[in-house]
Amino acid sequence: MPGDKKTTKEDTWRPAELGRYIREEERDDGYARRPADNERRQRGGESTVRHHRNTEKESGREREKVRESTRERRTEDKKDRYAERRKEESHDRRDDKERDRREEQEREKRRQRDRLVDENKYSGSFRENREKGRNREDKYDRERDRERHRDKDKERVRDGHREEERDKTREDRDKERRREERDRDREHRSERRRHEESRDGRREHTEKQTRDRHHEREQHKNEDKRNDKEVQQRHKDRKHSEWREARDYKEEHQKHKEERDRRHKERGHHDEKQKHDSREHRDSKRSGEEVRLNRGDGERRQREYEDRERKHSERGYKEEDDGERKHRERRLRTEEEDGEKKHRERRHGEEDGEKKYKETRHRAEDDQERNNRDRTSSNKSSSVRSHKPENNMAEKEEVEMASEQTTAYVKDDGHTEDSVVNDEEWANEEYEDDFEDYEEDFEEMDESASRGEDDQEPLQPLVGEEKKELTAQQRKELEAIQRAMDAENERVDTTHSKHSMSREEEDWPQHSRGFEKSQSRASNRGKFIDFVAAKHREVSKKVATKQKKRSTELLRLIDLDFSLTFSLLDLPPVNEYDMYIRSFGTANTKQAYVQCNEDNTERDIQTDETEMCEKWTQHPPEHIGACGDPNLSQEARDRTISDMNLDSQRLTSFLRSASQVMVVLLEEDQAERKSLRTLRTQTDVLSFSDGSLQLNTKLPFLIGRQISLVHFSQVQRHTMMSVHMPKMKPGTVHFDSCTLICIWNIWEPSRPQKILVYESEVQCCCFSPGKAILVFAGTSVGSVVLWDLREPSSNHDHVKIEEDDWTFRHPTFSTDAVMAASGHFSAVTSVEVVPSIVAGGPEVPILASEEESSGLSFQLASLDESGVLNFWVVVELPKGNEAGSPTDLGLWPGGRVKLLHSSSLLTAERVSPRDVMKTRPSQTLLLKFLPTDSNHFFIGTNMGLVNHGTTHGLKAPPKCYRFQEAIVRPVDVSSINFSPFGQHLFLVGCADGNMRLHAVSHEQPVAEWINSTAGESVLTLQWSQTRPTVFCVLDAASNLHIWDLLKNDTQPVVTEKISHDRVTAMAVFGDSGQQNTYSGIALAHESGKIEMHYFTRSFTASTSADEEKLQSLMA
Amino acid sequence: MEGSDTYLIRPNHQHKFKPTIVKEHVREVLRERLSGVQYDPEEVPELSRSLAESIKVKVKNAGFDRYKLVVQVVIGEQRGQGVKMSSRCLWDADTDSYAEDVFMNDNLFCVVAVFGSYYY
Repeated sequence: MPGDKKTTKEDTWRPAELGRYIREEERDDGYARRPADNERRQRGGESTVRHHRNTEKESGREREKVRESTRERRTEDKKDRYAERRKEESHDRRDDKERDRREEQEREKRRQRDRLVDENKYSGSFRENREKGRNREDKYDRERDRERHRDKDKERVRDGHREEERDKTREDRDKERRREERDRDREHRSERRRHEESRDGRREHTEKQTRDRHHEREQHKNEDKRNDKEVQQRHKDRKHSEWREARDYKEEHQKHKEERDRRHKERGHHDEKQKHDSREHRDSKRSGEEVRLNRGDGERRQREYEDRERKHSERGYKEEDDGERKHRERRLRTEEEDGEKKHRERRHGEEDGEKKYKETRHRAEDDQERNNRDRTSSNKSSSVRSHKPENNMAEKEEVEMASEQTTAYVKDDGHTEDSVVNDEEWANEEYEDDFEDYEEDFEEMDESASRGEDDQEPLQPLVGEEKKELTAQQRKELEAIQRAMDAENERVDTTHSKHSMSREEEDWPQHSRGFEKSQSRASNRGKFIDFVAAKHREVSKKVATKQKKRSTELLRLIDLDFSLTFSLLDLPPVNEYDMYIRSFGTANTKQAYVQCNEDNTERDIQTDETEMCEKWTQHPPEHIGACGDPNLSQEARDRTISDMNLDSQRLTSFLRSASQVMVVLLEEDQAERKSLRTLRTQTDVLSFSDGSLQLNTKLPFLIGRQISLVHFSQVQRHTMMSVHMPKMKPGTVHFDSCTLICIWNIWEPSRPQKILVYESEVQCCCFSPGKAILVFAGTSVGSVVLWDLREPSSNHDHVKIEEDDWTFRHPTFSTDAVMAASGHFSAVTSVEVVPSIVAGGPEVPILASEEESSGLSFQLASLDESGVLNFWVVVELPKGNEAGSPTDLGLWPGGRVKLLHSSSLLTAERVSPRDVMKTRPSQTLLLKFLPTDSNHFFIGTNMGLVNHGTTHGLKAPPKCYRFQEAIVRPVDVSSINFSPFGQHLFLVGCADGNMRLHAVSHEQPVAEWINSTAGESVLTLQWSQTRPTVFCVLDAASNLHIWDLLKNDTQPVVTEKISHDRVTAMAVFGDSGQQNTYSGIALAHESGKIEMHYFTRSFTASTSADEEKLQSLMA
Repeated sequence: MEGSDTYLIRPNHQHKFKPTIVKEHVREVLRERLSGVQYDPEEVPELSRSLAESIKVKVKNAGFDRYKLVVQVVIGEQRGQGVKMSSRCLWDADTDSYAEDVFMNDNLFCVVAVFGSYYY
C-alpha cells in the first residue's frame, strides 16, 4: 500500500501538482521550490511508510525483505501492491513470529500476493469475500447480533454485488477458519498498516498521530504477545485506555486539523522528531507509559508526547462518551455508507474489496486480538465505518489522484466525507460501543488471537533495536524527507483544499487511528531506493522548469498563428453508375476502336483520315504555271514556279530563236523551190528580176486591203512591214475598219510575224533604230502610236481565224487624246527616228549602241501637215503593269514603252502673201533627217521645195532645196530619199514627175530629170542598198523605172510597166553584206499581194565606178 | 534567466522543413509499400503504424534539424464513399510546415500528413 500510495501520489500529484504548479507559478514565484519539495515529500512518504513497516517488523532482516518486497510491489500494479503489501506485511508479522520460516513466508507471500492480486483485481475477490464471510461468520460466532447486523448491512451492500461469492465463502469458511484466522491476523495488521501507510502517504501529518498510536498499539501488541491471554485482559484495559486515547486522538485530530495548517511549517521538525520518537518509543517503550517517559528525551518528543497524550485523553473521553452514540450512528452511517459504498464499489471494486477486506480482517483480528480489536474496532466501527470510509476515502483519493476522474470522485468523496465527518463524531461515539461489543467478542476469541500474538511478541524488541540503529543513521535524511513531506502536504492541502480539506480533516483522524496500528513505522523504511526515483523526478522537474522558462521566453519572440485549414483529402462520393461501371463495366467487353479524334465521338471518325489534296491544271497554260497545288506549301509553290519560270524562259528563248531559224530554213527551202519555178516565168515579165517570191498576204484579214506602205528596217534588213489600209467597205471580218500592219521576215514569207492593229488610218510608220523591236506610226487623226514587238502575245487579242490563231497587237502606247495639248492637231505625215548621231560628235555605229541599249535611248520626231514637228522621248519602263497604269492613260496594260513629249517646233514657212495667193496653203509632207547629223532635218513641202532646218542652233545655209529654175511650183514633194552611200546626196521626187538629185550643201539640184516618168507622179523613189548609182522609181502609172547613173544619167535603164496588177507601193531591200549580197525590190500590188523581186546581178553588184560616179555627181 | 539566453528561433535555410522533399519521401514510401495492396481491416492498423514509423524515420534522415515530426497515416477502404479530411494547426507559420500526400489504388486510399514543428 505504501508503494501504491507513493505511486498513486506521484501519479496523481503530477497532473494535479502540475496544474497547481502552473497556477502557483503564475501567482507566486516562491512556489518554484515546490517541485523539489514534492519529490522530497514523496520520498518522505515512502520512507515513512517504510519506517512504519520497519517498526512493525522490528527485524533488520525483515526490513530488508520488506524493502525488497516493497520494490517488488512497486513494480507491480497498484492493486497488486496493495495486496502484496498486505500479504507481505502479514508475512513480516509471521516472520516476527516465525523468524526461522522466512523462506516459507516468502513463498506464502507470493501465494498471498497472487491471491491478493486476484482479489484486488476482482475488487471484491473470492478470497476477500470468503475472508469477509469468514470474518462475518467469525463475527457472527464471536460478535453479537449487533455486529452481525452491521456486517449484514455491509454485506448487503457488498453482497448486493457478490452474493454468490459469499455463499461459496460461507461454505468454505468453516474449513478454512483457523488458517484464515492467522491470515486475518496478519492481514488485519497489514490492513491497519495499510491504512496507516495510506494515510501516511497521503498526509504525513497524520503519520505523527498514527505513529503515536502505532507505538501504543505495538506496545500493546508486544505486551499482549508476551503476556498471552492474561495480557489480553490487560489489553482490554489498555485498549480502554487506548480507546480513550484514541478518542482523545480524534478530538485532538480535530484540533490537529485546525492546528495542522499552523503546524505544517513546524511539522517538518515535529515529524522527524516524532519519527525518531516513535522509533525510540518502540524501542524503549513496551507500554504506552514508557512512551510518556520518553518525552523527557527531547523537547520535540515532549511536544509530540503531549500531542499524543492529548489525543489519548481525548480519545478516552470520546470513547466513554460516545460509545453508545457511535453504535447507533454506526448503523446509520453504515446505511449511509452503504449507499456511498455502492457508488464507490461500482466505480472501484478494488476499493470496496479492500474495504471489505479490511473490514473483514479487522473484525477477524478484533476477534483474535483485543488490541487489534480495539484498533480494529475503532477501525471497524470507526475505522471500519469511519475507517473504511477513510480508507475508502484515502484509497479513493489515491484512486482519484491516479485516475483523472478526480472531480466526480471528489464530489462523491465529498459526500462520503461529509457523511464521514458526521461519522467521525459518530465513529468516536461508536468506537466505544464497538469496543465494548468487541471486547466481549474479543474475550471469547482472545485465546486464538493471543496464540498468534504470542508468536509475534518476542520479535518486537529486536525490531525496536534495529530501528534505533537505523534512525540514528538516517536522521538527517529523514529530517529532510519529512520537510519535503510537509511541503507536499501543504501542497496537497492547498490544491485539494476545496474538496479535500474537508476530507483530509475527516480522514486524518481516522487515518491517525488507522495509523496507530503498527504500519506507520514500516513506512519509514526503504528510503534509499526512492531517492533515485525522486532524483529523477527532481531532475525532470528542473528540466520542466527550464523548459517552462524557455517557453515563456520564446513565446514572446514567436508568433503562433492558426494555419489555414489544409484539405488533406477530398474524395467525392462515387455515384452508383460509376460504381457499377467500375465493378462490372469491364466485364465481357473488348476494345474495338480507339478514339483518335477525341472531341468527335462519331464512329466514322475513329478511323484514319482520308488523305486529300487539291491540284489544278490549266489549259492552255496562259500563265506561268500549268498546274498547281493549293495544299503545297507556299515555299514549294514558289520553288516550282520559279523552276518553271526559269525553264520556260530559257526554253522560250531557245525555242524562239531555234524555231525562227528552223522556220526560216524551211521557208527558204520552200521559197527557193518556188522561186526557182516562178522566177523563170517572172523573168519573162520583169527584166531586172533575178527571181521573186511572194509574201503570203492571202490571209483572211488581209484580203481586200490595199497596201499603202512597205518599209524595211534599216538594221534588220530582212524585216519588213506592210501597212494594210482599212477596207473600203467594212465587213464582218475582224478589224475591217482598222489599219493592220504586218511585220514580215522576208525569209519567212508564209505568214507575217506580227500583226499590229490600229483603229484609224496610218499615214506613216518606221522602225526603231537598231533592232526592229518597236514600230512607230503616225496616224491621220494626229496621234503617234507605237508598238512594242517584244510584248508577249498573251497581252493582246487572240483571234482564231480559219484554224489559225492570230494575235492582233494593239498599240503599246498611243498619244490619242492623251496629250492633246502637246500633240498634233492634224494628220501626222511623217514619223522619223532622230538619229543619235550628232554632227561633229563621234560617230557611233548605230547598230552596236542601239542593240546594246535596247534602242530605247532615242528620240522620235513626228511631223504633221501643219508643220508642227514634235519630238518625243521613247522611254522604256522597267516593268509593265498588267492592270494598266493609272497615270499613263495611253499605255496599253502591260506595256513597257511609252513616249514623253520633249519639244515641239513649228516648221511651216512663213509664206509670202504673194506666194499664198498663187498657191495653196503650205503643207509639210515629208520629214527626213540627215543620217549623219540629227540636227538637220529636211521637210518636203507641197511647194515642190525641201526645207532645210535644224533642231537647234543656227540655221543651215541652204534654206531650202528648189528646182533648177527659180520658179516655185505648187507641186507636192512625194518622196525624199538619202543615198545610203553618199550621205549628203538625196533624191527628191515630185508629184509632177520631176526628180532631182540634191547635195545637202547646195540649194540647186545636182541633177534634175524632168519628164522621166512621162508626167506621171512619182510615188516612191529609193536608192538601191547595194549599188550607189542605182535607184528605183515608181510612178503612179504603175511604171517601175530603174536608173543606173553609171550607165545612163539621163534616163532610166529599165522601165517596167506592170499593168495588170498595179503596184501601189514599193520598197527596195538589199544587204551589202560580205557573203550574201542580195538586193531586190518589194512590190505591193493593188490586189494586196506583195512580191519580192531580186535584182539581177547587174543591179546588185557594185563597182568602184559607182563610187566615182557619185563623187563626180556630188562634185 | 541567468545570463542572456540565446535561442535559435529560425531554422537554417537548408534545414528548413521543405514540404516538397518530404512529400517526395512520403510518396516513395507509399509507392513501394502500398502498390498492389488490398485493403484488409485486419492488417491495416499495423500497416498504417509501420508506414508512419518508416515515414518518420525517412523524414528524420532528411536532415530537418530541430524539427519535431508528427506523422499521421490514415488508410481507408475505397468503396465509393465520400471522404473529406482536413487539418488545422496552431503553429509558427514561419518555421513550421506540413506535407501531405495521398496514395490511391482501386480499393484503398492512404492519406499521409507529416507535420514538422520547429523546436526552438
